[in-house]
Amino acid sequence: MHIMEGFLPASHAFGWTVVSAPFVLAGAARIRTIVRERPEARLTLAASGAFAFVLSALKIPSVTGSCSHPTGTGLGAIVFGPSVMAVLGVIVLLFQALLLAHGGLTTLGANAFSMAIVGPWVAYGSWRLAQVVGLPFAAAVFLAAALGDLATYVFTSLQLALAYPDPVSGYFGAALKFGSIFAITQIPLAIAEGLLTVVVIEALSGKIRDEDRIAALSGGRE
Amino acid sequence: MAIATLDRAASLNPWRQRALAEKALIGFGFLALALLLPPWPGALLVSLAICAFTFFGARVPLRLWLTTAALPLGFLASGALMLVVEIGAGGVALAPGGLVPAAELAGRAMAATFCLIFLAMTTPMADLFGGLRRLRVPGELVELALLTYRFVFLIADEAAAMTAAQRARLGHSSRRLWLRSTAMVIASLLPRALARARRMETGLAARGWHGEMRVLSTRLPACGRRLALVVAVQLAVVLAVLAVVGLG
Repeated sequence: MHIMEGFLPASHAFGWTVVSAPFVLAGAARIRTIVRERPEARLTLAASGAFAFVLSALKIPSVTGSCSHPTGTGLGAIVFGPSVMAVLGVIVLLFQALLLAHGGLTTLGANAFSMAIVGPWVAYGSWRLAQVVGLPFAAAVFLAAALGDLATYVFTSLQLALAYPDPVSGYFGAALKFGSIFAITQIPLAIAEGLLTVVVIEALSGKIRDEDRIAALSGGRE
Repeated sequence: MAIATLDRAASLNPWRQRALAEKALIGFGFLALALLLPPWPGALLVSLAICAFTFFGARVPLRLWLTTAALPLGFLASGALMLVVEIGAGGVALAPGGLVPAAELAGRAMAATFCLIFLAMTTPMADLFGGLRRLRVPGELVELALLTYRFVFLIADEAAAMTAAQRARLGHSSRRLWLRSTAMVIASLLPRALARARRMETGLAARGWHGEMRVLSTRLPACGRRLALVVAVQLAVVLAVLAVVGLG
């Protein structure tokens, strides 16, 4: 869920940019070293970034009757890892703003924090936790993708609530307001994306045994 | 809207040939004004000015502009609505002073979005990235962004072809099938994208590539008179807003 251009006041837009910057700069520094050591890696990184962007422009059916687009947060966090996703996510958001007028440049920092940092880390955390608990493979993938989406949506509602508190009930009420209006589209989307990611990972990993699936994928991007 | 729509519009735009500095000053300058000036009358004046540049200067087709501007409206409508209501002890009620902040928010967001659309429709992303290099953003990152930009359209074409093939075979006839079909597209797209990258890498390595893609780009000098004109319009907007706020 993207916050549109100009929706946040200047102070909030600036604040979120400052908050996201360390994560993105750390990822960028890592990418710089990787690319210096192995120049050929940049083609793989570029193809992954382009893939993540095209993925977010595909349409999936939503329960409410309309259609929506997957965010790729969970898939990216599982396949590429959350720290790389911070940079890939910013690239995707930048392309969405300039090629689709979706999201914005001043709200890039806020969107990056919820979509490229919070979402992937929650997805990755639930993925690892589900593995530790011993959930079946498909359930772990579903949880990672669905919770990653939900975390993004809840965090965006909090960002909006911080910027526009309710006159009576304050930040809490505002979070409730923004949360409930976007729930109509975002909760079905999270479920759809969870199911989608399960099928994607299943198809990607083919007939390899469960514990080897992800290792095979990360080996495949070398 | 297809991925290439805005990029094609930007590449065909008469202002494609204008210097990047001029367009950046218009787009980013008015974007900053939209955000920093008080929404009344700042948002209105910024919207008028940026629309004048968009339609009379850059001659952006109105139809395409309307389709593009309609997209963020859904978010704006639901988001601004939240400022009109409040949650109190008795449940949800109309906020007494909610209309003014909601209108101000809507005005500011629309003005800022018009600035974003101006940039998107006059300046291809490759030109913007070229500008980033001149601003001393690390070369590796700019190269990466440029490579990503070139890959986007190849991969998008591939995805569109796969989706069309699935549709023709009733792959979207029910929701369940649709979701499954999209998952299959994604699952075959990632290995294909990576394989494409590997093939390209082999081809480039055979040609002695060391990690820098040198392409010809026409770099036009910025016209001082035009820059001065833009700054003058921006100053006029600031002064007009200050005058109105001072009077109020």
